[in-house]
Amino acid sequence: MSARDLGHAATVTREEQHGEFETRYMRINVGPQHPSTHGVLRLVVDLDGEEIVGIKPQIGYLHTGFEKTMENRTYQQGVTYANRMDYLHGFAHDLAYVLSVEKLMDARVPERAQRIRVALNELNRIASHLVFIGTGLLDMGALTPFFYTMREREMLLDIFELVCGVRMNFGYFRVGGLYRDVPDEFFPAVDQFLEMFPKMIVQYERLFAKNDIFVNRLKNVGVLSRETALDWGLTGPSLRASGVPLDFRKAAPYGGYEDYDFDVPTYDAGDALSRMLIRVDEMRESMKIVRQAVDRMEPGPIRDPDRRISLPPRSELEDSMEAVIFHFKLVTEGFHPPRGEVYVATESARGELGYYIVSDGGSMPYRVKVRVPSLINLQSLEPACLGGLFADMIVNIASLDPIMGDVDK
Amino acid sequence: MSDAGSHTASDIELAAATQATVDKLVPLGGVVKTFKDMVSVTVPKEHIVEAVSVAKESGFAMISDVFGIDYLTYPGHQGKRFTVAYNMRNPDGNGRIFIRVDVDEGESLPTITGLFKAANFMEREVYDMFGVVFEGHPDLRKLLTPEDFDGHPHRKDFPLGETPTLFNEGRFLDPAAFRAGLVGADPGLTGWKGGAAKGARSEQDFGQGAGMHGKESGKP
Repeated sequence: MSARDLGHAATVTREEQHGEFETRYMRINVGPQHPSTHGVLRLVVDLDGEEIVGIKPQIGYLHTGFEKTMENRTYQQGVTYANRMDYLHGFAHDLAYVLSVEKLMDARVPERAQRIRVALNELNRIASHLVFIGTGLLDMGALTPFFYTMREREMLLDIFELVCGVRMNFGYFRVGGLYRDVPDEFFPAVDQFLEMFPKMIVQYERLFAKNDIFVNRLKNVGVLSRETALDWGLTGPSLRASGVPLDFRKAAPYGGYEDYDFDVPTYDAGDALSRMLIRVDEMRESMKIVRQAVDRMEPGPIRDPDRRISLPPRSELEDSMEAVIFHFKLVTEGFHPPRGEVYVATESARGELGYYIVSDGGSMPYRVKVRVPSLINLQSLEPACLGGLFADMIVNIASLDPIMGDVDK
Repeated sequence: MSDAGSHTASDIELAAATQATVDKLVPLGGVVKTFKDMVSVTVPKEHIVEAVSVAKESGFAMISDVFGIDYLTYPGHQGKRFTVAYNMRNPDGNGRIFIRVDVDEGESLPTITGLFKAANFMEREVYDMFGVVFEGHPDLRKLLTPEDFDGHPHRKDFPLGETPTLFNEGRFLDPAAFRAGLVGADPGLTGWKGGAAKGARSEQDFGQGAGMHGKESGKP
């Protein structure tokens, strides 16, 4: 099949030009280099005047074969790749990946490690939603909120840097625990953030959520009914904005989320406004979880003591031959999970995120399949946009929150 | 699931809804395997649409994912080469079932886009990565790889690095030549002849009078 048969051509075909004289639809190409497509999303849009009659996302510009790469690295090395897919909510990918491997290995993660993971994951969710709000409003021409949200996100990135040395591509979680314990400065930094941030949310709400121009711009734009959203496989905050209270942190708790008390906000309208506002509500819920996780954190180990998975402590290497052997084996070839296939669904800032890992008993996964939320959610762009105005397409892309690294894998 | 029988003791208690679905799938030729808390039912190829439809009607009304696995180099694997798995769950999010179907190279599968619109991208990804054709799919194109790229990268016999990457129409990218081009040993694809940054010259250029009077004038 040639590219033309496949609909890649962004112009009308020869038959359409000569066979049928009337030109009904205009086919235009948006992206891949377009500031409001959040990366390299290309859309082929058919227009009837201002109305969208057809929209096809063309993706894959960032495809780097993460899954195939992970199949040729040890299980522990896979963490490094996982968080590079969704660079705004990297801890979610780290967590989903290590949870799958831990399920395969029957690892027992210490309580302190679980609490640190949950706290960081939720702080990262707040950071991701802040980018969503900032850039989403930027797409609509509101420049100010971007600077506000970036200011708060900077505080969060400083906390992440404090904990794991980097601001975005963390690689901090390990199978069976964490790379290291959090420093003492972590707790005052989180306290400071949690104290300051509620005031900031009020400020955001004053800026846009209660702003008539903003509300009228987004109301009834890109409506996805409950049935449509389920049929198109939408997950995450966008689905909850359509009235389905599906949140894997509540529905199928993982990694210690069953311990925390929080609500799952939902909206019924299913329009772009609900998809925007639900993120603000979610940030409040995430703050609750962080508060509880930090308050309940007790001193303790941060790694599974199982020598099959975790490196022995540095102190043992000097006087235990066995520790040296385990260290050598883990560093050179990694651990060998038993044969089997596992999947753990988690809730990232965008929706259902899960790693399906097939183990053949070797030290590298036989197959890694990432169920990325952005890729599946991107399909909902079609029902959201069809019949709407071209100018609303940008709003719809922003409100569905695709991350192109997450889409293209 | 392939030959992973050693660990698939089905002694765990299935949830009532899952058990009811499994009971409906077994008459279709379904073979049930459980591993940890995961339930998978392998059904024959001709019943796959029916099986997915049964699962959908009995509560697993959302499809999370459709993905392929290539068992070519899986130790001890017998049977067909590929498995396509349908990851289905209920809208409450607490129940999940994997419906699997084995296909060989060159075999095609019927599409389930009639049941779930969400399966569109998922099946396109399987087609792109494994070359499994879904009959009746409304728009079966490659999803992630470039349109002029030959091959299905997630097949286990797809070469990894140090081998030319083939594009159709005769273009290909040879990594060895490309790398040689980067160090200047070979013009390679970049056509770069080597040397330092822009403006620098070789030692010969700095000989006496070079460039002023030709080669002869450099002699004493």
